[in-house]
Amino acid sequence: MPRAERVFQTLLYCYPPEFRREYGREMTYLLLDQLNAAQGPRNQAAVWLRTITDLFTTVPKEHYYMILQDLRYALRTFAASPSYPAVVILSLALGIGANTAIFSLVNGVLLSKLPVREPERLVILTDPSSSGVRQGSSRGERELLTFEEFDQIRKQAQGFTGVMAAQSRLENWQIRVEGQAPEEIQGRMVSGDYFKVLDAALARGRDFASPTEPVVVISHAFWMRRFNSSESALGAKIQLRKAVLTVVGVAHPRFFGETVGQSPDLWAPLGLQPQIIPGRNWLHDVGDERVMWLQVFGRLQPGVSLTQAGASANAAFKNAMEQSVGTSISEQNRKVFLDQHLKIHEGAGGASSAREQFTAPMMILFCVVGAVLLIACANLANLLLARGAFRQREIALRLSLGAGRARLIQQLLTESVLLAIAGGVASLVTGYMIHGALTNMVVQADPNFHQVFELDPTILAFTLGLSLFTAILFGLLPALNITRTDAALSLKEQGRGTTTSVAGIRWGRILIGAQVALSVPLLLGAGLLARSLANLQDVDLGYSRNGLLLLRIDARSAGYDNPRSLALYPELLDRIRKTPGVTSASFSENGLFSGSDSVDEIEVEGYTPKGADDKDARWDQTGPDYFTSLGVPLLQGRDFNDSDRAGSQKVCIVNEAFAKKFFVGRNPLGMHIATVYGDRRITHQIVGVARDHRTHRLQGPTPPRNFVPIVQPLGETDGVIYAIRTSGDANALMPSLRKSLQALDLNLPIQSLVGIDERLKRRTATNRLMSTFTLALAAAALLLAAIGLYGVLSYEIARRRNEIGVRMALGANPSGVVAMILRETAMIVGAGLLVGGGLALASGRILASQLFGVTAQDPVTFVGAAIVLSTVAFAASLLPAMRASRLDPMMTLKQE
Amino acid sequence: MPSPAQDPTALLPLPTAMFHILVALADRDRHGYSIMQDVADRTGGSVQLSAGTLYSSIRRMLEQGLIQELASSPEPGNTDERRRYYRLTKFGRRVAAAEAARLDQMLRHARATGLIPKKS
Repeated sequence: MPRAERVFQTLLYCYPPEFRREYGREMTYLLLDQLNAAQGPRNQAAVWLRTITDLFTTVPKEHYYMILQDLRYALRTFAASPSYPAVVILSLALGIGANTAIFSLVNGVLLSKLPVREPERLVILTDPSSSGVRQGSSRGERELLTFEEFDQIRKQAQGFTGVMAAQSRLENWQIRVEGQAPEEIQGRMVSGDYFKVLDAALARGRDFASPTEPVVVISHAFWMRRFNSSESALGAKIQLRKAVLTVVGVAHPRFFGETVGQSPDLWAPLGLQPQIIPGRNWLHDVGDERVMWLQVFGRLQPGVSLTQAGASANAAFKNAMEQSVGTSISEQNRKVFLDQHLKIHEGAGGASSAREQFTAPMMILFCVVGAVLLIACANLANLLLARGAFRQREIALRLSLGAGRARLIQQLLTESVLLAIAGGVASLVTGYMIHGALTNMVVQADPNFHQVFELDPTILAFTLGLSLFTAILFGLLPALNITRTDAALSLKEQGRGTTTSVAGIRWGRILIGAQVALSVPLLLGAGLLARSLANLQDVDLGYSRNGLLLLRIDARSAGYDNPRSLALYPELLDRIRKTPGVTSASFSENGLFSGSDSVDEIEVEGYTPKGADDKDARWDQTGPDYFTSLGVPLLQGRDFNDSDRAGSQKVCIVNEAFAKKFFVGRNPLGMHIATVYGDRRITHQIVGVARDHRTHRLQGPTPPRNFVPIVQPLGETDGVIYAIRTSGDANALMPSLRKSLQALDLNLPIQSLVGIDERLKRRTATNRLMSTFTLALAAAALLLAAIGLYGVLSYEIARRRNEIGVRMALGANPSGVVAMILRETAMIVGAGLLVGGGLALASGRILASQLFGVTAQDPVTFVGAAIVLSTVAFAASLLPAMRASRLDPMMTLKQE
Repeated sequence: MPSPAQDPTALLPLPTAMFHILVALADRDRHGYSIMQDVADRTGGSVQLSAGTLYSSIRRMLEQGLIQELASSPEPGNTDERRRYYRLTKFGRRVAAAEAARLDQMLRHARATGLIPKKS
């Protein structure tokens, strides 16, 4: 062979094989003819140059054409039997969509970094999961800091380029933009160098020039929503309680602050606290009494380690405490007080109360969606196996007609990739929808939670990668398998319809068994979570939920000082009780399931503490007739009444748990409890023991509690919550109640009434989220398994029609055939159930933390799950079995 | 195969290479090299079809029904086994004519605007 011919034939390999086979020889001759005709090396070189240039344009064109042809062929094939692509896309959409949704949620809450420059240099000096306002003294590791402590650390600590503070709790504020109606927004107070320390660029304007400058930075979303992205927003005035603030900056579109899962509308300087939260002094510490309400972040100087920064921050913290506490307390208390320290955390991921709350549920959901993905994969594998067997004849025919194996594999792969892309798009859509449903459910547990579904590159890569991987893997294996078939043999076998592909059937059965096995823990989990939810919703609170409404009133934000507000609350109670429709009412500071609680060190008469941790009790301060009006029986003694006044003998009522813990074998009535604040102590005498009732948590044992009349207080009151029992319609009550209360003071902020059931809904929201989600996914997985079972049986029966025909010709009756097929299904399902039961037992531990009133090994739920699964399997196999029983034995045998 | 009702203008404008091939096949059946030579001769060597373009075009034209492959050589004397001969179909002729008319129309437009000299 001349060299030119060899070279050109090598070049021809650039073309698709089909084209090369068809025209390769002709093209070679053409080139050789051209070369012969060309005189001299110059002209020959010109021929070569033209040919090679030509190659560059025609090779891609031919490949493109091939792909187009494959796609057209694939689409025609799909159109001919649309149920196959539909089930594949559905499986992918469900399996991957659910994973995308959870991954997106987890990515946003648990994994992502703050959208600021060099987030890995940020550290958190406080507890990232802590949020709220803690008042009083504190011990040990500090969760939140006071303003003065922060200020000292900011000034003294070494190793930071800056230290900033942010209000740990996101506030719901009513504001009024100049010239507009009042509106509810979310905001947070932050220190003056907040944006500088975070190193977050603003989209417009500037941040705070001084810590007390009356200005705000608004979020990009708020800017778009409220100001239509107008430049005139800068300079606009916003009234926030007693402060009038000028908008000076707009945050970057992606910036949401330092707390993951929250999206404030505006940021105001911390120094304005007295105007924004009037009546409180949260900027100064008094002795060891302090208001801890700030998350504190630092930005490390280059080269400074976490440990070094922690040591330096702790030194400054200790200094701040020593200065502020001075000599106001005894030496012993001083020692306890100064024994506090800061734990420094990596800050790149920001603070998050959602993170701690949702880590365990999300991990469980991750397991759930993982199982769904496996089920979807098994389903896909099964479908493709069945599909491959189904197409064996077509492939064999094409192979025998001279189609290349590579060409067929490419064709089959094109189908897979097409399905993968369609499935990938479908899973993004389902992912988006599931994510929406999930965040809606998360919001019920954490109303401040905010997260948008973002198609960020990680998630996109995750989804499409997974989709491609699954489809190509399950597309490639059967493609390799079928194209290897000996063409002639396969044609013959198919023609005769004997039992071939025994291996295929066996694999199909194993895959169905695996799907059943994986469905067991899913179903079981869904069942257990549903029962836990039901148990939680039915928890005996110790008082009736019927017609019980809650109303919070904070007189201090309306400008009342503590003595005046203490006088106001009973007066308001009188008015509430007189409102038509109210059968009884009282109030307490922390209320029912408000999330607010008080705990202090106590000394109980005649009780010796067993250690430092044995001295605490929770407490609340209440209005008159508190227990009677709530409906909590007093086991001993009496309720508070109007004779308990500021100047009279200080009294208290303890709960059953308190009596059992501190008064074993003794009568608590008449005994004294001293609440200890450093060197001060306030002593109350026990006049009653109330039956245990739930005020804060639905789960776990009731902790010891002690109640005092609000007129004989243990501490200053931050508003109270009225518990109002009504006989009629709650909605009808509100207008008359508002009228009656505002007749006393028009400026009193009155929020709407909340039913106790609604309040409790938030407590059970996480459980509801998991239960609903798991149930929905288990149902979908079950559907997939049913489709898989149906498909495999249909395929198997088609393959075995001779055998069944022979059986029937030999006298087997139709019901016998049905029974035979069902028996075989029962074997697969039974094996799946056994394996699945084992899986469920092994994975029960993961779920245990989320269960209530039911164990992970609950036999009733186990049996229930097995019955549901068996019923679905029975239903899915009945149809193919019936079809088999209707086979005409003569026909099948004739075909044979 | 195209249906008789197929509109020849649906394929217009034709790629230049395809039009040249149609023209080359207009007077007689030819094999690949002959087509290439005819095109080169006709254009004074300014259009040189290379193997890739030629056979890529032939593949498409066969599919579109513009040409057909002959089972044997049309020249009884020439029995070169390796040659494959192509013939213009009726449809191919109609398409070539339509393309020629289209080009003619364009030329007339160009002349009317004085872009090129008017035909003497």
